[in-house]
Amino acid sequence: MVLRALWQSRDRLNDFLGRPRALVPIFLVAVPLPFLLQYLVDSYGWTGGEYWLRIATISALWAGLTLALNIMVGYTGLFNVGFIAFYGIGSYAYALVASDQVHQHLPLWGAVAVVMLVCAAFALLLGLPALRLRGDYLAIVTLAFAIIAQQLVLDLDRPPTLFGHQFGPDSFNLTNGAQGINLVDRLRLPENFPLLHGPALQTRTYYWIALVLVALFGYLSHRWRSTRVGRAWVAIREDELAARAMGINVYRYKVLAFLAGSVMAGLVGMVSTAWLADADPYTFDFTQALLPYMMLFLGGVGSIPGAIIGAVIVTVLPFLLQPLVYYKWVIFSAILILLIIFRPQGLMGTVQMRPRRALGGTVELLTEELEPARDADIAGVEAATGAIVADRSVT
Amino acid sequence: MEYFLQQVVNGLQVGSLYALVALGITLIYGILQMLNFAHGDVYMVGAFIAAGVAGLFVRGQVAFAPAVVVVPLMLVAAMVGAGLLGGAIERLAYRPLRARGGLALVITSIGVALLIRYTVAIQVTAAPVPVQSDALVPPTLLHLGPVETPVMALVVFVVAAVLMVGLDIFVFRTNFGAAIRATAQDREAAGFMGIDVDRMILTTFVIGSALAGIGGVLFGLRYGTVDYFMGNLIGLKAFAAAVLGGIGNVRGAMVGGLTLGVLESLAGGFVSTAFQDTFAFFLLILVLIVRPWGMFGERPLERA
Repeated sequence: MVLRALWQSRDRLNDFLGRPRALVPIFLVAVPLPFLLQYLVDSYGWTGGEYWLRIATISALWAGLTLALNIMVGYTGLFNVGFIAFYGIGSYAYALVASDQVHQHLPLWGAVAVVMLVCAAFALLLGLPALRLRGDYLAIVTLAFAIIAQQLVLDLDRPPTLFGHQFGPDSFNLTNGAQGINLVDRLRLPENFPLLHGPALQTRTYYWIALVLVALFGYLSHRWRSTRVGRAWVAIREDELAARAMGINVYRYKVLAFLAGSVMAGLVGMVSTAWLADADPYTFDFTQALLPYMMLFLGGVGSIPGAIIGAVIVTVLPFLLQPLVYYKWVIFSAILILLIIFRPQGLMGTVQMRPRRALGGTVELLTEELEPARDADIAGVEAATGAIVADRSVT
Repeated sequence: MEYFLQQVVNGLQVGSLYALVALGITLIYGILQMLNFAHGDVYMVGAFIAAGVAGLFVRGQVAFAPAVVVVPLMLVAAMVGAGLLGGAIERLAYRPLRARGGLALVITSIGVALLIRYTVAIQVTAAPVPVQSDALVPPTLLHLGPVETPVMALVVFVVAAVLMVGLDIFVFRTNFGAAIRATAQDREAAGFMGIDVDRMILTTFVIGSALAGIGGVLFGLRYGTVDYFMGNLIGLKAFAAAVLGGIGNVRGAMVGGLTLGVLESLAGGFVSTAFQDTFAFFLLILVLIVRPWGMFGERPLERA
């Protein structure tokens, strides 16, 4: 009977889950999770507390990544296949300023600033030329960038050579190659922080930091969506030509989306590296690159709670399926394929996909967003015709 | 100078493998406007089939049947197997999504790639499988002037060249090829002309996958080992080759593959070997930024 009630109210349920205020119960559960796990460990001698806390932390970090991807793919429709490279760039940027590799040990805010700057720099390096290309080509270029980035990280443990000439001394070792940079500093939060202060040594501290990041990204995404920038992004996603015709500087907004997503990904990389105290080049392998895509598509492209829930499911599921080592990939791929075939909007179902015939883009995303537009007229037109009315606030 | 020629010859041989796989990618892109990430894994399956067939005829470095029988058998088996696999993928995974557009197809192709890869890893073996190519074809080095090359490399190149010529004839000089080109050009209009679009797409997939399968066999014969992960890198490099030649363009893929092989080999020989793999991707980015339609493509009319 409960099931029947659920089924009958599924539209209202879906409507509720599509809105960001669905995040409130998620956070209400998520924040006290370490205490709950600790209680179970203390009172019942359960040994799984730390294990599941680690999984929860990993999920939170991936949720942050997925939210970053959501800005690029979900809002703007940029198919950045090599997205995970920015996670790696953030990771290594932090490792370089907080370890003995180049003998730098910056405090927290210095490290954050460096990570953000480095990621922004690489985002510009990749984005400025690449974002002029149409969808398919952008995908290939970003993919190539990710592969090159990983290869560079793997190869920079010795001085680079060009035509037999060696650049740099023999002791040149920037990234420590395949071993990664070990013994990275933990985060040292300032002493006057309200609850978490001092060096972060426990997993639970990183869990909460990750939750803060997720909350921050979620809030940013939500607020951004209803500003001029956010609506420009959605207009670009829906119909680039119409957006351009309405006076939106498509290129500039694309670069902005790229920057935003990359910096966010870099911050996630930083927290992850600080937690594991290790920067590993295989964390941003190409085969990992599609994980955030799976999370985003599972949860619902363009939806903030969808991104988070998708990330949690995709992260937790393999641990539940742990006994079947290789099978988990087989199952995953099967789920992904079935999902795309039968429910391409993902669980939270906000954005559909429709082929774009003109302009060579790979996809045109139809909006079925449950977020009401600020302007009731636009919302009415959108709902009635399914067409997008490009951002009127620009004129 | 001899060193340069040696690199070029090596590059041509590797490039012919890239060309075979790139042909499949470009054919599929031309007809469906999708990037088929699963193509590299079809290549891998072809290689495994060939390894299996070779294993039937070879026991511990001694071949039971002459190479002249075994090698063509391996090629045919891989061609058939890979072709069937490609057809199955198209029919089961891509056809339902055709209406949904490129992004869905690309993501599905990644899913299919993983599915194939890990199914092989589980069902067959995760360890590298040796192919007793030495038992079949003795690893003699031929000396053509200043250059030396193993016999197998020459065989690889010749087989690939023959196939490429055959494909060229098929695509450009037969009615069936004309139908495929028509479908690639304008699917709707081709339908109006009475072309069975579904069948054309299926055929394209089968042909492209068969070529990839043969590429896999040739790789196995030349390098003596196959493993479940080999499709990854070659798939990506074949992309680079296809884009270099002009994605969607058949002759472009052939020339692009050979060119990429040669350039990569030269880069490895003259710059540094560590750089060799990344070179393909640097070239890819360069091409996409400077001339995205590749060597043989046409400048698109709409500049969105």
